[in-house]
Amino acid sequence: MKIFAIMKKELQSFFFSPIAYIVFSSFLAIVGYLFWVILMTSSIATLEPMLYNAAFILMLASPVLTMRLVSEEKKSKTIELLLTSPISPFDIIAGKFLACFILYLVLILLTLQYPLILAHYSQDFDVGPIYSGYLGLILLGAAYISLGLFASTLTENQIIAAMVSFGGLVLFWIFGWARHAFENDFGELLGNLSLFDRYAEFLRGIIDSGNVIFFVVFTLVWLFLAMRVLESDRWR
Amino acid sequence: MIEMQNITKYYDNFRALNNINLSVEKGEILGLLGPNGAGKTTAMRILTCFLPASSGTASVAGFDVFEDSLEVRRRLGYLPETPPLYHEMTVRSYLNFIGEIRELPWRLREERIGYVAERIGLTESLSRVIGTLSKGYRQRVGLAQALLHNPEVLILDEPTVGLDPNQIIEIRSLVKDLARDHTIILSTHILPEVSMTCGRVVIINEGEIVAVDSVANLEKNAQAVPAWKIILKPAKEQNWRDTVDSFSGAHISEIRELSDAFEFKLELERSENFDELFSKLSAKGAVFREISPVRATLEDVFLRLTSTEERKEAA
Repeated sequence: MKIFAIMKKELQSFFFSPIAYIVFSSFLAIVGYLFWVILMTSSIATLEPMLYNAAFILMLASPVLTMRLVSEEKKSKTIELLLTSPISPFDIIAGKFLACFILYLVLILLTLQYPLILAHYSQDFDVGPIYSGYLGLILLGAAYISLGLFASTLTENQIIAAMVSFGGLVLFWIFGWARHAFENDFGELLGNLSLFDRYAEFLRGIIDSGNVIFFVVFTLVWLFLAMRVLESDRWR
Repeated sequence: MIEMQNITKYYDNFRALNNINLSVEKGEILGLLGPNGAGKTTAMRILTCFLPASSGTASVAGFDVFEDSLEVRRRLGYLPETPPLYHEMTVRSYLNFIGEIRELPWRLREERIGYVAERIGLTESLSRVIGTLSKGYRQRVGLAQALLHNPEVLILDEPTVGLDPNQIIEIRSLVKDLARDHTIILSTHILPEVSMTCGRVVIINEGEIVAVDSVANLEKNAQAVPAWKIILKPAKEQNWRDTVDSFSGAHISEIRELSDAFEFKLELERSENFDELFSKLSAKGAVFREISPVRATLEDVFLRLTSTEERKEAA
């Protein structure tokens, strides 16, 4: 129950602040533009480039959505209210994560117009990669948000929170390059941590349970760490 | 109801509280008094489970703030120094949110919001956005938040800050009313507030309790010898000062010359000697225009106990 109270409150404040609207409109503008340009130049009815671009743009946009989640509570001292109420850090983190995740799902939902356009105008349209691609995008979003939420618990400065989560996400994005750079076990290990490499498999239409588990565990680990940071604030 | 035993709190190397022992009975209003930075807020944060103590134990309603933090938090209403408000919410949706996280059943929630809003004078502001409210109204919303779930224990950190004099009077009488079925700790650095609302006062300075007593007792103890403020019009060529100075145990200070009279503060070692001195002066034709006893106020107590120079001199 208390998770939903937090979630509702977060969703409310998302739509009261201009940030959500700005992120939504710029994301849709960029994705729409890319979809149009790629479709016009290639004339191939595939959604792979658009989903790839969407994931990249969301990596840039999600820190903006997550940066205020806990930082703002710290800045405005409302964290004192939450931590002296009979709610647990789990309720707080879970509620905030769910609110941001719902926002992300709405954003994803708005891009469904593109597969619908393709399905309407093309023959032999392969829907398999669309399903797997969207599943990948949703899992990727959970990963983005959890890392961003963790970064937001670290500081009361929203800019720092955004920068930390942005840096973290880019790092996990480019870990895949290590595979080619080292060509040994270490490179392989780093490559396995790459968000992009795993996401790319979804885009090719492959739903590997290992990849699904990776994204779920990745999300849970950052949420767990966020919870611990929130708890540890009391010990300082 | 509230117990603190040997509470010490360090922030890194800075000692904010040193060996605090405190006990508050059910239904009592305890005033925490002290200059800024004395440790009032830290003490309150420990009681509300927001901060852990470095050593010592504290309990609220029989539950340890560390071991049974959840049970303690269920029984607390807390108004922090900065009212914890979400500026984009309306007062009603904010209080509704508080009701949710404070485990108030939804049937009761509407009723309590209505009741608390009426008590605090927020009924007309319920649909306003908090960010557009004035400081005084924000403080009221903060107070409403602390009262909403009708907690056994109320901890109020400077509850009247930012209010205008009328509001201050209203809030004080509200706090007094609440004491009938709540236990209240409030902190302040406004002295009259303590004398008007609190049964007992704890004066904290530099992290240590320097006095715990009722307001009346503190005032009584602050005054070493009985004193009067006197305006005296001496008779012509009367040497009134010699009369006073030669009187045993009399001491005058703060002498001010008025157009045809003198104002001064008279201290007597024994108050029963006052009549004798009075008749000695008036027998020679002096006229007393004003005689008023000087009582030490809480200000005097406060200043005496918290100003470091004086304490060093005394040591």
